[in-house]
Amino acid sequence: MRDRVNQLPPDAPMDYRDRMAILRERKLEDTQDKLRELGPVNSDDHGIIAPPKGFAEERAKGIYSNHPNGSWYGYDGYSENFYRLMDAYPAFVDPCDITPCRGMAYLSNLRPPRGFLPEANYDYLRPAHELYDIVPGIGAQQHFGIDYTIGLTLGWGGLLEKIERYRAVNPGHDDFYDAEVKTIRAIQQWMKHALEAVDEALTRETHPVLIDNLKRTRESTEYMITGAPRSLREACSWMCWFKAASRTYNGDGAGGQLDELLRPYYEADLAAGQITRDEAIFYISCMLLCDPHYYQVGGLTADGKDMVTYFSYMILEAADWLDSSCNITVRVHDGMDRDFLKTSVEYLFKNKNGWPRFSGDDALTEGFMRLGYPKELAVKRVAVGCHWMSLPGLEYTVNDCVKTNNARVFEVALGQMRRDGQPPSVARLWDIFAEHTRRCVGATAEGIRFHLKHQWRNAPELPLNLLSHGPIERGLDISGGGARYYNMCIDGTGIATVADSFAALEQRVEEEGRLTWDRVFAALDSDFEGVDGEYVRLMLSGSNRYGGGDTPADHWARRISRHFTECVTAQDGDGLKFVPGWFSWSNTIPLGKAVGATPNGRKARTPINHGANPHPGFRRDGALTAMSNAICAIQPGYGNTAPIQLELDPGMARDDEAVIKIVDYIRAIMKQGATLLNINIIDAGKILEADKNPALYPDLVVRVTGFTAYFCMLTKEFRQLVVERILRAA
Amino acid sequence: MGIVTEIQRFSLNDGPGIRATVFLKGCGMRCAWCHNPETCAAAPELMVYPEKCIGCGACVGFDETRARAGLPPPRGELRLGDADVCFSGAIRAAGREMTAAEVMEEIIQDTVYYETSGGGVTVSGGEAMAQPEFVHEILSLCHDNGVPGAVETNLDYPFGRLEALRGLLGLVMADIKVYDNDQHRKWTGVGNARILENVKLLKELDVPVIIRTPVIPGVNDSVEAVAPIARFIADSVPNLRYYELLNFNPLGGSKYSALGLDNPFANARPLPDADMDRLAGAARSSGIPVRVG
Repeated sequence: MRDRVNQLPPDAPMDYRDRMAILRERKLEDTQDKLRELGPVNSDDHGIIAPPKGFAEERAKGIYSNHPNGSWYGYDGYSENFYRLMDAYPAFVDPCDITPCRGMAYLSNLRPPRGFLPEANYDYLRPAHELYDIVPGIGAQQHFGIDYTIGLTLGWGGLLEKIERYRAVNPGHDDFYDAEVKTIRAIQQWMKHALEAVDEALTRETHPVLIDNLKRTRESTEYMITGAPRSLREACSWMCWFKAASRTYNGDGAGGQLDELLRPYYEADLAAGQITRDEAIFYISCMLLCDPHYYQVGGLTADGKDMVTYFSYMILEAADWLDSSCNITVRVHDGMDRDFLKTSVEYLFKNKNGWPRFSGDDALTEGFMRLGYPKELAVKRVAVGCHWMSLPGLEYTVNDCVKTNNARVFEVALGQMRRDGQPPSVARLWDIFAEHTRRCVGATAEGIRFHLKHQWRNAPELPLNLLSHGPIERGLDISGGGARYYNMCIDGTGIATVADSFAALEQRVEEEGRLTWDRVFAALDSDFEGVDGEYVRLMLSGSNRYGGGDTPADHWARRISRHFTECVTAQDGDGLKFVPGWFSWSNTIPLGKAVGATPNGRKARTPINHGANPHPGFRRDGALTAMSNAICAIQPGYGNTAPIQLELDPGMARDDEAVIKIVDYIRAIMKQGATLLNINIIDAGKILEADKNPALYPDLVVRVTGFTAYFCMLTKEFRQLVVERILRAA
Repeated sequence: MGIVTEIQRFSLNDGPGIRATVFLKGCGMRCAWCHNPETCAAAPELMVYPEKCIGCGACVGFDETRARAGLPPPRGELRLGDADVCFSGAIRAAGREMTAAEVMEEIIQDTVYYETSGGGVTVSGGEAMAQPEFVHEILSLCHDNGVPGAVETNLDYPFGRLEALRGLLGLVMADIKVYDNDQHRKWTGVGNARILENVKLLKELDVPVIIRTPVIPGVNDSVEAVAPIARFIADSVPNLRYYELLNFNPLGGSKYSALGLDNPFANARPLPDADMDRLAGAARSSGIPVRVG
């Protein structure tokens, strides 16, 4: 961890832009340090910096075990170990910044790897989970949205009072409330230690602007140990404290509707004459720097008004000042401020950092209402995750944690058809596949029910409970009855792999008669070995494809998605709803490793398709419209997403008219039912150079799937995935 | 029925808004720098990429010795049908017969993009108007389906062909490649007198017009070459939307060898941005809107 105190001469320029430029440079240094000390990671940046050397090893010695197996579980185990960690957590003081904290470690990394609570055994689920290569999400943490207004309104002191108020009306839940109190005490303890670090920095800093900033930081930190934020600066700072603590606890990354969350503070500061516009942008930028959580900007109010304000522009401007990894989503609807959408696209192309993303209000709202929720609620379900939406503070979802490997389901079905001795046909294969899909989804839902029954005893959501509506009020963890709504996410994966496989068999074997079933089976068994194998593979992969534009494969994809959706929604019951989506996250590689060669010409153990996207090479002209139409048509339609992932050349926005064409493309796909659009603006040459020596490109950000990551932080395998996609797009 | 080389959807450079561009086959000119040489001949033809051959032996002219060496049969032994059995990409057909309805079936899928962006369909080539009846059929179907139509053309034909599309066109994009008649003939194989006369007649169609000039190194990459074109446009095209200078496109290079042709501009490179800006500045001095593409 680098010393950032008194590193600049007392006369160095230090307006807000200067300070952000300095912070940005330091962020790049931190990223390089992190790569060096922690190695590559295939996930969001998280704003984490490398801790002082030996910190994790030292803390691992001091863990508290409450189980004979040496690990810890439940309220007691998690709260005590969180307290111990935070009590020793290093402060991070940068005199340019507004908050003396950064995330530096994950509690989970200190935990001995003993798996789920042994007393809750799910061996009975494993055969089906293993057969279908299900990612069951048992033990998954966070991945739902919280309501920051609770914390911003109450502060830590107010939250403690709230806990005691509800403790009194919920006797018998002391273990829960004690754990929540200890969680808050842990964070307060960390803040107190940070004060000492700020005091030390004040003895050394000589730049007058930074001395003044450190004094303000000290005053606001001391106040916020108990008090609720009184200004925009304090609101941003409070969110930094919460986020860094929550990240440390279990990696939480959900933000909120950022423009509406912070605008009241700015307007109050303005009315009091105590803030400038640049100052406000700087504070927001500092918050985004501390942690690139997922935030939404814009959208519709419950009475149908556009939510975009001048402050929404300021959020984008703050992200532009930062010009780094960021996870801001702009919600697109038909009546939105078109200039705002254009501004968003301009920032996307200007910074080439993968932000903002774009979500489709119509499809998301209508879809969520299909679950039985009113429009007033549906419009509040905001983009706060990798590919997911959540009602802030109201629902528990395990979004993005549960995946069915539909390509593996297809392989199981194909195997059964080959074994049962009857003549093979595409129609029979579909029937068998449909039945296995039903079984696979059923086994997945069983896993979720198991998780909901036991997770609170295994790994409770102590920080996130605090900012949710229900857990404190009921004395129950959000995973175990504390949430208002349970909308459990089940994502399918491999839709293109499966649709292309059905279409290829239909075209080459049954319609054209160019291949026999036996020749296909032989080629699959040998993984397309030899010249004939390669010929068969090329013929199969050259069949009509998903994303080709109303092709038979597009029709297969729609059929697969409809059936999958029916299977998922059929699991509803006992107060639970199950919500289908199509998203692989970064699991395309491991999910692919579980599947042998497939009739779409995909070789064994290679990645399945990415999210809802077609396999690369889906169409000779690579027409985004054809691909987008295909993805829009397979949306399950219940408020979760099947994102469109694009890689675009920076030259596509070469002038104003070109930018407007991209804006219109976005508007058009949203009209067609798109739920989420992620775009990489990347030039192929730079990616190739960066791939040779990633460390030379510490600021190169790519959107890997729903998440953005520093290219240099990805493993070689993941970099290759990005490289291939981008090169094909180019 | 017509011969189509390619249908390119999500086309952003062939007119306003998001468009689909239908590339027809056949062109009367032989521009020495053409970056779509596979569109010149009227009939479908083969493109051969030997490096992609896997030696599968599916093509008619299979030669085991060559296959072992990873080479496809000699071009002369190949037949058009070989493209249907080659899945490696070593043998490809440039051009296929399609009906206007089949073309429409493809391009109508993007109607929402045309409507949202003010785009539509551009029929291009080759030379689009080398198949005038087919163009009429396509644009009639576009018109019937509410899709704005445009044509991208070299104007080297009797103007009546274009006039027959009156009411079906929302935009005409036309090239003036070289202003000097002799130079035009030298580089394209035809003179430009009829082209320039037709440019003057474009105002009669009462639709916006975009005039484009491909800027080719050593051919027309000078102020002296561009300025007279701009002056002519200023005097002759009252319904001009803008004049566009298109930088040399080197991407067609591999197509020449695939067609068994020599590429006279194999070593040419696009002009630096500054040079394109200089030429655009010279064109603007005629008082017309100018873009660099």
